[in-house]
Amino acid sequence: MQHFEEIYPFSAIVGQEQMKKALLLNAINPKIGGVLIKGEKGTAKSTAARALAHLLPDRLVVDGCIFGCDPADKNGFCLDCQKHAGELTTKKAPMRVVELPISATEDKVVGSLDIEHALKQGEKKFEPGILAQAHRNILYVDEVNLLNDHIVDVLLDAAAMGMNFIEREGVSYEHPAAFILIGTMNPEEGELRPQLLDRFGLCVEIVGIHDPQTRVEVIRRRQKYEDAPEEFIRSFEPQEQELRDRIVRARALLPGVIVSDEMLLMIAQICIDMAVDGHRADITMMKTAATIAAYNGRTSVGVDDVKDAAGLVLSHRMRRKPFSEQQMDRQKVAQSIQKSQGQSAPAMAHEHTHTHTHNHQH
Amino acid sequence: MDHFAEVYPFSAIVGQDLMKKALLLNAVNPKIGGVLIRGEKGTAKSTAARALARLLPEKQVVDGCIFGCDPADRKGLCPECLVRPVPLPVRSTRMQVVELPVSATEDKVVGSLDIEQALKCGERKFEPGVLARAHRNILYVDEVNLLNDHIVDVLLDAAAMGVNIVEREGISYTHPAAFILIGSMNPEEGELRPQLLDRFGLCVNIEGDKEADTRVEIIKRRREYEHAPDAFIRSWQPEDQQLRERIITAKDLLPNVSASEDMLTMIAQICIDMAVDGHRADIVMLRTALTIAAYNGRTAVTEDDVREAAELVLSHRSRRQPLSEQQQQTDKDKVEQSIQKSQKEKNQPEQQQQNPENQKPKENTMPDGSTTTQFAEGQPFKVNQKPLAAPRRIDSFKREGNGRRSVTESRDGKYVRSRIPKTIGPDIALDATIRAAAPHQKGRRGSLAVKIETSDLREKVRERKMGNTVLFVVDASGSMGAQQRMTAVKGAILSLLIDAYQKRDRVGLVVFRGNTAEVLLPPTSSVELARKYMQQLPVGGKTPLAQGLVKAIEVLEREKMINRHTIPRLILISDGKANVGTGSGSPLDDAKEAAARIQDAGISSFVIDSESGYIAFGLARTLAEEMGAKYLKLEDLQADQIADLVKGIQA
Repeated sequence: MQHFEEIYPFSAIVGQEQMKKALLLNAINPKIGGVLIKGEKGTAKSTAARALAHLLPDRLVVDGCIFGCDPADKNGFCLDCQKHAGELTTKKAPMRVVELPISATEDKVVGSLDIEHALKQGEKKFEPGILAQAHRNILYVDEVNLLNDHIVDVLLDAAAMGMNFIEREGVSYEHPAAFILIGTMNPEEGELRPQLLDRFGLCVEIVGIHDPQTRVEVIRRRQKYEDAPEEFIRSFEPQEQELRDRIVRARALLPGVIVSDEMLLMIAQICIDMAVDGHRADITMMKTAATIAAYNGRTSVGVDDVKDAAGLVLSHRMRRKPFSEQQMDRQKVAQSIQKSQGQSAPAMAHEHTHTHTHNHQH
Repeated sequence: MDHFAEVYPFSAIVGQDLMKKALLLNAVNPKIGGVLIRGEKGTAKSTAARALARLLPEKQVVDGCIFGCDPADRKGLCPECLVRPVPLPVRSTRMQVVELPVSATEDKVVGSLDIEQALKCGERKFEPGVLARAHRNILYVDEVNLLNDHIVDVLLDAAAMGVNIVEREGISYTHPAAFILIGSMNPEEGELRPQLLDRFGLCVNIEGDKEADTRVEIIKRRREYEHAPDAFIRSWQPEDQQLRERIITAKDLLPNVSASEDMLTMIAQICIDMAVDGHRADIVMLRTALTIAAYNGRTAVTEDDVREAAELVLSHRSRRQPLSEQQQQTDKDKVEQSIQKSQKEKNQPEQQQQNPENQKPKENTMPDGSTTTQFAEGQPFKVNQKPLAAPRRIDSFKREGNGRRSVTESRDGKYVRSRIPKTIGPDIALDATIRAAAPHQKGRRGSLAVKIETSDLREKVRERKMGNTVLFVVDASGSMGAQQRMTAVKGAILSLLIDAYQKRDRVGLVVFRGNTAEVLLPPTSSVELARKYMQQLPVGGKTPLAQGLVKAIEVLEREKMINRHTIPRLILISDGKANVGTGSGSPLDDAKEAAARIQDAGISSFVIDSESGYIAFGLARTLAEEMGAKYLKLEDLQADQIADLVKGIQA
């Protein structure tokens, strides 16, 4: 657990609250579907993504499985685990941040024929690629907008299905590949294809901090870290532990969080008014709002949670209109909320709710 | 293989009735020939295709046959089944959805030499590929428009004949490959080749639901599903079962369904009026109408069945401009008219609902007192691609595709297939090399399991999109404001932008007006952004043409340094009436000098002359000559649109 690889602690990052929040929400609920961090250079994008791994609680994996299958999820087993379903042993393992470098070749990403095995044994064997490593982990793509088109296609395919199908170089294989996709990009270098954009659950846009005091703090911390990294990391361990505990608490709370029909209607209304494509935005907004509630120790979603979630979910999904910046129009969201509140206020007396309702949580 | 344990149930998909119908009709009658689902992202396209697998009825197969041959079809048997003793052993199995991933390489699609068998026994044995597994099943291609051209060719071949003929790596093999092709795509990412389009029996266009209540229902079901997938799937079992039974009933009924002479005439009339190519549409429409009748438990085709079938069959076959929704409506009206015509009823006087939109330009007063004007965009049109076609470095096997892809010499493309190298380079295809070496292993000795000789070596053939960088150099001076000229120019640029997006070209925008030229948009892959800037383009002031061209050279040269594979292209849109120079010389001479530099830099260019009216100076033409550019008048670019419509869309 306590591997002091030199990674700048998450809680030591100054400011950039939106970004940190988006990352933490994903840590609590991987089903949100990742984050895209857009921003200028030098705004701790990569630092934050890498640091996140250290906050993530350990999880159970099938011992010896190269994909780290979830012992509790029989439907999601890889071919090997399916075969030996009766005799699996489990172990705890930390989540990892698997990096997808821009220069990666397709065979390394999806996996290919194991050359050594073929030459030495005369047998075909599948050699897992980056997507295999990424299963149940974080797949981190720095400068995701510079990724080669055909790699993006492959990534899209896997992200959509949570499975990687391989039909290449003499091997046929399939394995689970459900990962949290975290990407960073500098919009000045070109935009992402909308199709890939939509695969990111959340998106945050960040800028450098303009308050001189805070900037000084950024420099000071960085200096301390560089002078004595181990000591610096240790000094932030209490904060890190606190965040870790908070994630664990929120995770436990999440299944019991109620999203009332009224809130669902509000979410739908916002998505209609903002003219997003398809329904992925609605579903992600619901999950995000529920996770925000859990993160704040509550068991039911309120208007503010929806508003918060809208900010994270919609910014990259809006159809950009000419003359207006891509920035989401907060006012418009506020209007939609009012509209849906006007509609549903009298109608929602009885609603079916989900199981637990322990409200005495803090 | 059995991964559909956890698949969202088909009957739990909210709305999207047309898509569901199209899929179900194919399950009832595979001869309809598949479905193409086109739609925006996040509209349950893939979910539906995968969910269909659980609804598919049982079929009889030859036991032990890898292709699952049909015992009742003697002529369609594979080579192994043909030589088996009769009666053939029979087993019943469910139809499957076989996926073709976009990263597939050719050897795994068509099948290839079985490496293990060859290494161990020195035998040449055929190892079946995806096409073999797809026989009598559904072949599903997600993001079908992203599929490699070469793989598409292979797919088309097999789909056309129902047979896969393999001649490679010393193997000759032929096996049946008749499958239902289901594809899904997001048209934003580029269109399909018309030839592949036509292979899909039906096509549906879908979009997200706009009703709040429906959307809420979608969220709820999704939540429930993710919360407890097994329980959710179980709770939809009865509905799924009902659909399954309905499919079986319809299947049984289908041979008894008939279409009257009137209905046949109606179908033919519709196809004539819609000017579809060939007769496939007629045949598919009849089959679809018959299947719809069977699905509804009837034995006679009605007018409504034909109407429904027409919608499913024609949407991808009628010649219309992409990206126009109005057209779809008129298509429907046209079908309606055809139906009436075939019924020999009195034709009601047609009403043309043309609403001429008043596109008055907006005037803004700038802080400095000068006025600039913003014009609306003209209607986009299909760009005649000939003048814009990129120079390609291509192999002989290449066909014209949708994107400009080329076989590249560098190692960073997509591995599609292998070949015998002319000289031995670094990019060796080991899988193919081992396959080549495998059959000879018995005669060779070595410390490794596989002894490879030079003659076995194969290299990878990679495909890579040769991106163009298309830089638009736009004249936004006052003279462009006359007679709605800018509106036409914007329409032209918009059309070129749509074209560029579908080919994943990078685009940039340089604008000159007043006293300077400005890089409004550095080359980017974001066409959306380019479009936005273009729309905001203000017009007014003088014409510093030379500055614009010089700026463009700078931008393209920088671009070339960043990405050496890119092909720089420049599109100048101007009337050529330069009146601000760079130095002491005349503005026109400066512009000519800059134009000559463009030719020297080897930038392939294209001049669109926006001059119109009675008095023509022909200055843009002179510039085009200096640049070594292709020259076209703005009106001609639009005229090509008409020519295109007449010829049909021939990408």
